[in-house]
Amino acid sequence: MERELLKSKASKVEISDIDLAPGPFSMSFHFNLEPLKASINRFGVLNPPYLLKNSDSRFTVVAGYRRLLAVRELGWTDILCQIAPDTFRPFKALLLNLSDNITHRQLNTIEKAMVLKRLTRFLKREEIIADFMPIIGIRANKQTLELFLGLEELEEAIRASVAMERLSLRVAGLMRSIARDDRLRINDLLTSIKWSFNQQWEATQWIIEIASREGCSIKDVIDGGEITEVLNSQRMNNPQKVRSIVKTLRARRFPTLVETEKLFRKGLSHLSLPLGVKIIPPPFFEGVGYRLEIVFTKGQELKGKLAELSRFSGLEGVTDFWKGKEHR
Amino acid sequence: MKQFNISRILIEEGAEHDPLAKKILRRLPNIPIETVGPDELAPSGDIKGMDKESLRLMRFNGEFLKPCPGTRGYICCGYQILNVGTNCPMDCSYCFLQSYINQPSLRIFSNLEDNLTVIGEIIDSSPDRIFRIGTGEFTDSLSLDYITGWTDFLLPFFSRKKNSILELKTKTSSIERIIKSRHRKRIVIAWSLNTPRIIAHQEHKTASLKSRILAAQKCQKAGFVLSFHFDPLIHYPGWGKEYQETLELLERYIDPESVIWISLGSFRYLPDLKWIINRRFPGTSIFNGEFVPGLDGKFRYFKPIRVEMYSKLSQRLKKWHDDLGVYLCMESDDIWRQSLGWSPESSADLCSYLDSRVRNLVPD
Repeated sequence: MERELLKSKASKVEISDIDLAPGPFSMSFHFNLEPLKASINRFGVLNPPYLLKNSDSRFTVVAGYRRLLAVRELGWTDILCQIAPDTFRPFKALLLNLSDNITHRQLNTIEKAMVLKRLTRFLKREEIIADFMPIIGIRANKQTLELFLGLEELEEAIRASVAMERLSLRVAGLMRSIARDDRLRINDLLTSIKWSFNQQWEATQWIIEIASREGCSIKDVIDGGEITEVLNSQRMNNPQKVRSIVKTLRARRFPTLVETEKLFRKGLSHLSLPLGVKIIPPPFFEGVGYRLEIVFTKGQELKGKLAELSRFSGLEGVTDFWKGKEHR
Repeated sequence: MKQFNISRILIEEGAEHDPLAKKILRRLPNIPIETVGPDELAPSGDIKGMDKESLRLMRFNGEFLKPCPGTRGYICCGYQILNVGTNCPMDCSYCFLQSYINQPSLRIFSNLEDNLTVIGEIIDSSPDRIFRIGTGEFTDSLSLDYITGWTDFLLPFFSRKKNSILELKTKTSSIERIIKSRHRKRIVIAWSLNTPRIIAHQEHKTASLKSRILAAQKCQKAGFVLSFHFDPLIHYPGWGKEYQETLELLERYIDPESVIWISLGSFRYLPDLKWIINRRFPGTSIFNGEFVPGLDGKFRYFKPIRVEMYSKLSQRLKKWHDDLGVYLCMESDDIWRQSLGWSPESSADLCSYLDSRVRNLVPD
């Protein structure tokens, strides 16, 4: 490849002769040109962009896409470029740009997806997984590759959220299975206030499943009174809003589980357990082992609490407060 | 008999000499054949569709007879799986093979017949033990029988094994070959049943409920012992009424006296399967229920929901006949007691219970 590069020729090219839409080798998305413009204004273009000449005598950008956008915005009409030879193959052009990019900056998630998508034109998926996913810092497996390849189908607003790390990649992947307006609505909800990625994942799954369970639209779920009320609340701060929305969605998604938890708490509250004594059910009530937690500072205090517990009436019926309930 | 579309045969090097492969090739004379390496995926293999129109003939190098892996933390029935092949031409959305095996094509093990001797030795070496064996775990036992002729040699083989039964489990009504067979002893024909709604929306390309039950009736009249599996039970609005109607249909056509067992199991899945199902069946409603992580890492319906489903079905089954051998598949002692009013307490005791049904119901 280096030998071919040496044959490239420096030439001054009119900016208007270069295709400046993101081309087949571009891997730039959602970037800020201002620092680059400021640098170019002061020192000029330190490394010339690489171009390929098309059959119609116009030029495709191989490397230096952002530099070219910057100089255009700065009002330049021409620029010194390296013109790759006609024999320079597109796959090598893509590798050149990838090499240029990964050696001097971190690609964001969407840019990594662009790299993978472009590689699919030339390589089998197995080769991309083995040889390229590790290079750009992605867990190398088929499922992750599919996830990344699907990102290009998503709307610019969603891709921008992913690129800025305001929306989880996994959630973006899940959004592919729903309609455009629905995913944009979810993107708005998840980026209008700060969520953790785990909360985003749970909330998105639940919203989609609630809509399916209740036969309503995703928009109806999100715009329904409770969530809107929380979002507009003046009393709650952002973390409180997120917790409240998660709680609302959970109760709607898992009505039986949430009702059972309530019954359990209610059943325990009737017992008036000693202070610092807690009965903890198995996770999701799936196992049969309940745990007793006693907080104490000294052995004497523990002894007292154990004695109190042993005299306690009502412990016999502690566990299955939910039994006998019917579920629809 | 329903025939499925087979558009090509992939034959792995070495398999072409096996008698079973030769018979299959004779039964499919006009299908294009490609020779492939053992780990080689067929070119343009339709992974998303699981490549269900390709029949892959291959030698199986593992153990043909293996215990069902069961699941930790729950009571299991001690079933033995006879590995005849993997995948099936039908396409149930919930099928665990999509993630458990995750290999495309209909895979037929061409060296099965060669290994019957070994299987026979295993069975004969424990004469006091009952081997409950099935071919319907990793494929459908009858859907490809018109191509493979599995039952031609499995029925006579197991009929002679006094301490075993062979259960052929299916969602088809393809019983022509077995009905023609003269072997009945120690053969159990089993149907996986569900409500017409679940069959229509989740069990793609399978026989209708009524066809399955009518096929079962024919088998029963022809002298076969039957079993039924309500697994996976799916919880959805109206499930109670629709499962009730399903049982009513069963009661109308089947004599309960020669039913060896009926299993109940609810839909459960490993997390990976959800991703695959959502991808293969976008918009599926199969995950609409209230699923929580179980003790084995699989997601299951929240316990009270399972208990309610099992209780309702088992009560109804009890009204039909009080000795149907109803058991739960991969459930805890706690769920058994709450749903059926008793529990075998351990996997070993469930085994003994089902073995005793074999002794009582399968004619010598």
